[in-house]
Amino acid sequence: MIVSVSRIVRFALQDFFRNFWLSVATVSVLMLTLVSVNLLVVMNVLGKVALSTVESRVDVSVHFGPEVEESRIQTVKVALLSLPEVRDVEYVSASRALEQFSETHSEDHDIIEALGEVESNPFGGTLIVKARNLEDYPKILSALDEPVYANLIEEKNFDDRRVMIERLEAIAYRVEVFVLAISAIFGLITLLIVLNTIRVSIYTHREEIGIMRLVGASDGFIRGPFYVEAVFWGLLAVILTAALLYPALAVSQPFLRAFFGTEAVDVIGFYNANFLQVFGLQFLLVTLMSLLTTKLATAKYLKV
Amino acid sequence: MIRLKNVTKIYPPDVVGLQNVNLHIRPGEFVSVVGQSGTGKTTLAKLLIAEERPTKGQIVIGGWDISSIKSSEVPLLRRQIGVVFQDFKLLPKKTVYENVAFALQVCGASHRKIGHIVPQALRIVGLSGKADRYPWQISGGEKQRTVIARSLVHRPKIIVADEPTGNLDSINTREIIDLLKKINEFGTTVVLVTHNREVVNELRRRVITIDRGLIVSDQEEGKYVL
Repeated sequence: MIVSVSRIVRFALQDFFRNFWLSVATVSVLMLTLVSVNLLVVMNVLGKVALSTVESRVDVSVHFGPEVEESRIQTVKVALLSLPEVRDVEYVSASRALEQFSETHSEDHDIIEALGEVESNPFGGTLIVKARNLEDYPKILSALDEPVYANLIEEKNFDDRRVMIERLEAIAYRVEVFVLAISAIFGLITLLIVLNTIRVSIYTHREEIGIMRLVGASDGFIRGPFYVEAVFWGLLAVILTAALLYPALAVSQPFLRAFFGTEAVDVIGFYNANFLQVFGLQFLLVTLMSLLTTKLATAKYLKV
Repeated sequence: MIRLKNVTKIYPPDVVGLQNVNLHIRPGEFVSVVGQSGTGKTTLAKLLIAEERPTKGQIVIGGWDISSIKSSEVPLLRRQIGVVFQDFKLLPKKTVYENVAFALQVCGASHRKIGHIVPQALRIVGLSGKADRYPWQISGGEKQRTVIARSLVHRPKIIVADEPTGNLDSINTREIIDLLKKINEFGTTVVLVTHNREVVNELRRRVITIDRGLIVSDQEEGKYVL
């Protein structure tokens, strides 16, 4: 049994090198499919980063009047933190708010002059509220509308980016569908190429196959090398795709970070963390495709 | 050993290969099957090695009914029947030794078994000194002897030789026939399909004559009569 398996593997390797350029073409097409699948994976990772970046910028700023004491603002903060929908509340004191305003408008002399003319700090304290989910903001806003807060709160700013998020989701979905369609097309081309490769391989082996049949080689022994070769193709395609993908990601990651304006973009980290799952699944995908096509091709062209 | 009962082979749409053939070949016999081209000799050879299935009738080899043999069982049958063809069917990129060993390799034989059997087979056919030569480096007769060596490695009970001398000159033809006789003397049943008159007449063994798919004569120590 072991002897037979090792011979099947040897025959498969011989066939791989005997039809070297055909093997190269087959592996290349498999790689194209894998590259498009990986494009889909990268798009997915980036889409999630983009959404979480936008989502993290959504908050409600609750501005209090300058006359409201800090202790009362802290009471409101505790009350807000007790709401299950609230994830975090940040307190910005009146003096800090003034500093921030001055820093932001340091170039604008008119504003700085006007600010100087005001004797006291015109800003009050501010609470910046972040919800656990985007859907929680309306509840938080309605909680802040209660009469008990009416005399304290001067203004509420809800930086609602829901439209932007929805657009992002829509774009990400369309891109994914597009890449999925491309992957499917490459997959189909791969099936045809593999079918043809096996066909040529059977043709170049017709003498050997004929003799094998004549001297009593089993069906499995005659067909086996074609299946093993299909596994080789899959394995090689995945290894080469990974070998191409990592340098490509290393080059593009700084640009992606700059584009998204966040260090959270870490596609290489994603691949490192999920290496076995991602490439293992891809190996299974292309190998299953190749094996299925090999079965079709040998059933059609190899009469044992 | 070999028994055919009312065997008919019709190739679609209606070409008759063999018609209602009844035949019994005993163990250890040397039988020549003769007839003109296209009379059904090769069809008979193909039926014996299950390359074709009979349209009607029964073929029993060594007690095994192969009339409707399953595809998965064909390799087992072929390991019990040595096959020799006119066109040699040798692999050009393999040496004489490798060509003979190939028959064992593809059937899962161990390296040790191959190393033991192949030199023996080459010794029987007189090719021990040419084991490292490639098919293009040896004569037609030597090629056919390589094929016979390959057919012997499974120690078959039957050898079916379909026009084994068709591509050979008279000297090589005699050598091959002598070799088949020698193998027959060891107890192997030989079915020789040929249209070579001299070979058949010199053999003085059983001769079965086929004409248009029918057995028209079956003689012990017969001659080529067509």
